[in-house]
Amino acid sequence: MVRATDLPDYEREHLLDKNLPPLGPHCWTKHAKPLKEMRVALITTAGIHFQDDESFDFTDSSFRPIPGEEDSSNLIMSHSSANFDRIGFAEDVNLVFPIDRFKELANVGTIDSLASVHYSFMGAGLMPEAYEQSADQVAHLLKQDQVDAVFLTPV
Amino acid sequence: MTTGISLVRENAESMRPPRSLWVSFSLGRPLGVPNDAQFQHRVIAASLNLLERDRGPILEDYPVNAPKVSRETVPACPVSFPKANNGSNWQSRLAGELSSLKPWYELGRRRRGGRTLACVSDLSIEENLHKLGEYLDLNRLPIDELHWFKQAIEDAKVFYLEAMTAQPGNHDQMQVDQTLWRETQLGAGLFLFYKGFRAHPTLHPFARLILPRTAVRGTTG
Repeated sequence: MVRATDLPDYEREHLLDKNLPPLGPHCWTKHAKPLKEMRVALITTAGIHFQDDESFDFTDSSFRPIPGEEDSSNLIMSHSSANFDRIGFAEDVNLVFPIDRFKELANVGTIDSLASVHYSFMGAGLMPEAYEQSADQVAHLLKQDQVDAVFLTPV
Repeated sequence: MTTGISLVRENAESMRPPRSLWVSFSLGRPLGVPNDAQFQHRVIAASLNLLERDRGPILEDYPVNAPKVSRETVPACPVSFPKANNGSNWQSRLAGELSSLKPWYELGRRRRGGRTLACVSDLSIEENLHKLGEYLDLNRLPIDELHWFKQAIEDAKVFYLEAMTAQPGNHDQMQVDQTLWRETQLGAGLFLFYKGFRAHPTLHPFARLILPRTAVRGTTG
């Protein structure tokens, strides 16, 4: 979005209040292979899931798996925040969760492959530490799926 | 290894993720433009490009803004919302709005290939608006049904928005939001719930999921 400095006071203060120090020591994994050999997963904090999944609660540090072979046009959203546009996501899932774009990248060989399962969190109302257990669990699942890189989208 | 999108540059600057592409797009639109695969691919390519850098953390600015919506080509809201009839109760006023919006919601749903986001709750939109109206008529907060209330208001808001944007074209998000919050009975009713929760000694944090900050404090225009 526009820089916080360009927003009204109340909006700027709210967003800058979310500034946090770096999470732990500096981490950097140097690429060991070119992009065209990488297996990629998507993770979003947009609170999306399929209708049969349990919806996200008011604050919620759990996650929902999004199997790559499922029809992504059936994804819905139960994010707690009232402060972002949802109509764009209603028009096009890829605006938030660009699964079709990444399938296209895999088809033309820009990346090697897509993970079997992608993941959705609901990023609102909790400090990052609250997500530690879920994040560890997802990291383990990504390793099992031999994922090389993760593409992260906020909302 | 990770790469991705950041929407609030200052937050990414402070937390220093290994690789992130800051974009100037609206909250809720990290890939910029719906139904524009080429635009989305350019954003993704800029972010994936960060994976092949040798040093980090990297916070790079994406140089392209989302195209501005032209006021002249914005589709009009298909429903005009009458001023409240003070003689009727909330249940009947919300039911009246629902009748006006339903054909447009269905039309929008067909245009979106059957897709709708207004289906988080186990109850139908009719049942949810009826219950919301009942609480408003009784001047009570649904403190024993918070899980239902969260789902009901999310479905109600998105039902209205999907109906108001049923026609194809680039809608002005701010204009649609202003209509929802300033002209509809749902907007007026949710404002009352917001005030009630804000004043509640323990449930006041719940207020922030009811109304956006722009509806409470003004507009970001």
